[in-house]
Amino acid sequence: MREILSIHVGQCGNQIADSFWRLILKEHGLNENGTVKDSTVVKANSNQEVFFHKVREGKYVPRAILVDLEPGVIARIEGGEMSELFDEGSIIRKLPGAANNWARGYNVEGERVIDQIMNTIDSAVEKTQSLQGFLITHSIGGGSGSGLGSLIIERLRQAYPKKKIFTFSVVPSPLISDAAVEPYNAVLSLQKIRENADCAVLLDNEALFRIAKTRFQRSPNYMDLNHIVALIMSSVTASLRFPGRLNTDLNEYVTNLVPFPGNHFLTASFAPMRTAQSESVVRTNFADLARETFSEDNFTAEIDWKSGVYLSACALFRGEVKAKEVDENMAAIRKSLNFASYVPTGIKIGLAETAPEGFASSGLALVNHTGIAQVFERLLQQFDIMFDNHAYTHWYEGAGVSRSWMQSARDTVAELAVSYRDAG
Amino acid sequence: MNPSLEKQIAAAARSVEEARRNAYRDQTRLGELVEQINVLAEYRQQEGDFRKAESLYREALFRIQDAKSPDPELMVGVYSLLAYLYDRWGKLPEAANFYQKALKLSDDLGIHDSDKAATVKNNLAMIYKAMRDPERAAHYYTEALEEFRRVHGEHSGKVASVYNNLGVLYYQNLEVERALEMHHRALGIREQADGTDMEPGDLSQTYINLGAVHKALGDFQKAHECVEKARAISSGAISGGLPARRRSAALILDKTA
Repeated sequence: MREILSIHVGQCGNQIADSFWRLILKEHGLNENGTVKDSTVVKANSNQEVFFHKVREGKYVPRAILVDLEPGVIARIEGGEMSELFDEGSIIRKLPGAANNWARGYNVEGERVIDQIMNTIDSAVEKTQSLQGFLITHSIGGGSGSGLGSLIIERLRQAYPKKKIFTFSVVPSPLISDAAVEPYNAVLSLQKIRENADCAVLLDNEALFRIAKTRFQRSPNYMDLNHIVALIMSSVTASLRFPGRLNTDLNEYVTNLVPFPGNHFLTASFAPMRTAQSESVVRTNFADLARETFSEDNFTAEIDWKSGVYLSACALFRGEVKAKEVDENMAAIRKSLNFASYVPTGIKIGLAETAPEGFASSGLALVNHTGIAQVFERLLQQFDIMFDNHAYTHWYEGAGVSRSWMQSARDTVAELAVSYRDAG
Repeated sequence: MNPSLEKQIAAAARSVEEARRNAYRDQTRLGELVEQINVLAEYRQQEGDFRKAESLYREALFRIQDAKSPDPELMVGVYSLLAYLYDRWGKLPEAANFYQKALKLSDDLGIHDSDKAATVKNNLAMIYKAMRDPERAAHYYTEALEEFRRVHGEHSGKVASVYNNLGVLYYQNLEVERALEMHHRALGIREQADGTDMEPGDLSQTYINLGAVHKALGDFQKAHECVEKARAISSGAISGGLPARRRSAALILDKTA
């Protein structure tokens, strides 16, 4: 069995966890407390073990660890419908919060809680037979998810050098901003993600907002955004969990999507994007589905599509899709995409039989595009304005992150942006 | 890996998880958590995974500190466990640091368990010796010596051990006369001892250490006599007359009190 351990850090990471696990439970025919709801679904999919640990007949516990430095969101999960789902021992909360400060999450508060987190991870890993890797959800703009999340990623890399680390990182958007220091937190996190993770899917709140607004035709709320993220995460792992003709696992994604070491920052797209609430099953023909999957305005990060090129792409289709249709349509799409001159091969394609709840079929694209440099450049621009004026840096210095450390993080991210631009 | 150790680890890990849940609900049960963590950490060390053992002890430490009213005795205990772990791991500066913390905290709080404090001081001295800081090593050996004397009296095996350790320290430091004196004192106690608070190899070890000192002084005759005596004890004893293999390998070595 190729298990995956999910680690949800900070407020944003746990909000995503809330949506994500609801979706996964439905996909596997389980109730909100982990008991079997629909035994036919459970029997049809023997791979519950990827995401769940079976404690006794008919009761499944998610392989998940919830971490936060503020109890709010976790308390809501614990008090909500899924109150009996998670193992109490795998929920770690500690006061006080990281106060939007990466340095506090990484050094001060993180230092005091990281060992408990690592011990909990160790015992969760011991319950697996052949762990494939880790999924981490967090935001890189805040304090807990960015600082503590970076610390966890760093320690995971030391403790499990051969396991894949996949992050789903919510990037602060230029317009919707929670805090002035977001660019600092993001740049410091990106340095650690570049050094320690195998793949990072960047999720830009603003892009998610735009997608939700156009597709749902109403003003979206955070639940909608989290639902989009949950759909993407579920699809990334779908072919591990459900039978299919073309299987892909985390290792294959990494091999196919990362052409140069360090250039492992991806953007994703899910189609068809429809509201979670609609009762009827969404049906689309495959040509439309494939087109929407690779439509530029459907991706989760603000990419510079014009001046950049595709380095690599993976597509995963779920549900009622015919292999012949896939081949025909994907060949056309491949031609329409602007790939780097030295990437002559096609798009890596996976197929899984089970579509997400409420969809007859769905598509997922994971893309490595040089235009992602724009995301880094935007953050650096904001970083530089504050940093050059010494604004807010005292909070970081006070928590053990010197200006030279910040400078080195800035240089790492600048170099990352340049390496993407050069690859085009 | 040894399959029985694997089972023990799995069982201990489950107990830790259970204790963690209990401690989260009820802070007064933190002591249980620390106990379970110690069991698991011991197994981890047997397995050779010092990193995981470290992580466990540090979790215990921070959980204690986070409690509303941290239990100082528990904290001293965890400090010394951590120090002992680093010692075995070969991370000497960290070990010294945590032994120091344990000592300082027990001083501050007036926890008077002199036997424990003396043991910590002896171990700390051994670390300073390994770190080539003979002055501090001698300082802590001397303090340990005084406390053992006060608690157990002049003729205890523990006092003899510290004399032996001091002898080794002076020998390393090329203060051969002082080394000779220390080993003679150790010998004096160990020859009289009835063997209750002393390991079987201790007496012959003292003879061997003494032999080394005589050799360094150029007195080969006496050195030879000492080695012969050690050999006589070893062959005369029914079992365990030889110095423990670990120690005999280096011929001259000190001993944990």
